[in-house]
Amino acid sequence: MINLIKKWLISLGSPPLFFKWASKVLPWFFSISILILFTGLIWGIGFAPTDYKQGDVYRIIFIHVPSAILGQSIYLMMAIFGFICLIWRAKLAGMFLRSAAPIGASFTLIALVSGAVWGKPTWGTWWVWDARLTSTLILFFLYVGVISLYSSIDNKQKGDRAASLISVVGVIIIPIIKKSVDWWQTLHQPSTFTITSAPSMTSDMYLPLLICVIGFYCILFSILLNRLRAEILIRERNTSWVRQFLDNQIKE
Amino acid sequence: MSEKNTLFNWFMLVLKRDLVLSFKKIATFMVPLVFFLIVITLFPLALGTEGSFLSTLSSGVIWVAALLASLLAVESIFNEDYRDGTLDQFLISGEPTFILVLAKVLAHWLVTGAPLLLASLISTFFLYLPEGLLFPLLISLLMGTFLLSLLGALGGALTIGKTAILSAVIVLPLSVPILILGVAVITSALNGQDFFSYLYFLGAMLAIGIPGLCLATTEAIFINYD
Repeated sequence: MINLIKKWLISLGSPPLFFKWASKVLPWFFSISILILFTGLIWGIGFAPTDYKQGDVYRIIFIHVPSAILGQSIYLMMAIFGFICLIWRAKLAGMFLRSAAPIGASFTLIALVSGAVWGKPTWGTWWVWDARLTSTLILFFLYVGVISLYSSIDNKQKGDRAASLISVVGVIIIPIIKKSVDWWQTLHQPSTFTITSAPSMTSDMYLPLLICVIGFYCILFSILLNRLRAEILIRERNTSWVRQFLDNQIKE
Repeated sequence: MSEKNTLFNWFMLVLKRDLVLSFKKIATFMVPLVFFLIVITLFPLALGTEGSFLSTLSSGVIWVAALLASLLAVESIFNEDYRDGTLDQFLISGEPTFILVLAKVLAHWLVTGAPLLLASLISTFFLYLPEGLLFPLLISLLMGTFLLSLLGALGGALTIGKTAILSAVIVLPLSVPILILGVAVITSALNGQDFFSYLYFLGAMLAIGIPGLCLATTEAIFINYD
């Protein structure tokens, strides 16, 4: 059984097989994720009750919180795949890192911008030097560092491994950064999701937010699969299977 | 000769070589020092010379200047050796690269980090650092600059043959905890609190950083020679 799983994992790690699998999965997965995302957004923005304190402004939470969560979890994914890339030198892990980094940077930027837009009416200022805002900003800089590192190295394999190394080091240092940034007094409201205690908002607001988060994750994986497919085609452009695939595409 | 002894000899050999080379070239230890002092000078020029205002900013300004000076100096750790092929010779010599990295970081810190401590002494007069803060400032800079040298070595090894500004972009976000803790030592000393707790944090980071970051730097060098 374990051998079977191992075989399956190894076959998934080979670029041509992964490409075929991704091409098969992508169309229906993309439609499902669009469906979930729009359900969450329409429910949240159109039908969820108005907040008694903040009014309708709070509805930006349905974009802000999911993108902030994604910004953090994409870095974690990058570090995990970077670890795999460094140790087993799996080609696909490096490609994953390269395709994930710009998405992570974009979601972190969306979280920062939507937070600023939200902060203006509620706090009266675009930016506050609060612990969580600051660590999100630093996270964005970390993404920029990873992206500028791999894009400055011409050799793709070397670039993958250098980016893997810096994201693994980064993920070890991020808790220290968070802890040290916490020295400041925080103005930000306590986090919306906690695993241990019940949600502090009503289920009418909580459920659409949860659906939004799931929808954002699904969209993330659709974009990621598509970017990975493109990356595989570029990297393997000199192999026979890519030529065959392109020939078939042209014939169709 | 025992195994331990040869490792130590190798370490001393690299350390001595790097120190001799840097003292032959006055630029290696003068440039970061002067850069640091110039940055310190820019602050009163930009912010005004009012004494009490400057003295509240002094510790932060000194720390930021030290951060920039030591991270921009990293280019000299590996680039020179990479260009003339010495690094290749080191790697094919079969001696452990980890020890090489450790020795080179120590040499780099002795040449660029330690003079910064002296320069910060001078800058305390420029910025009217409040009385009694000299000891916390120096001890936090002592530990902090070594950590910065370690981080800088990682950045330098990842960007061998490229500009220092790229390595600064990669490494500066990672150096945030060092800055915060370093300044926290000084502000808590200023408020009359016990600042040793923050020093212990810095020490703990140093204890993890010396083996951890040297290992990462070793890996980064290997990536370049893949």
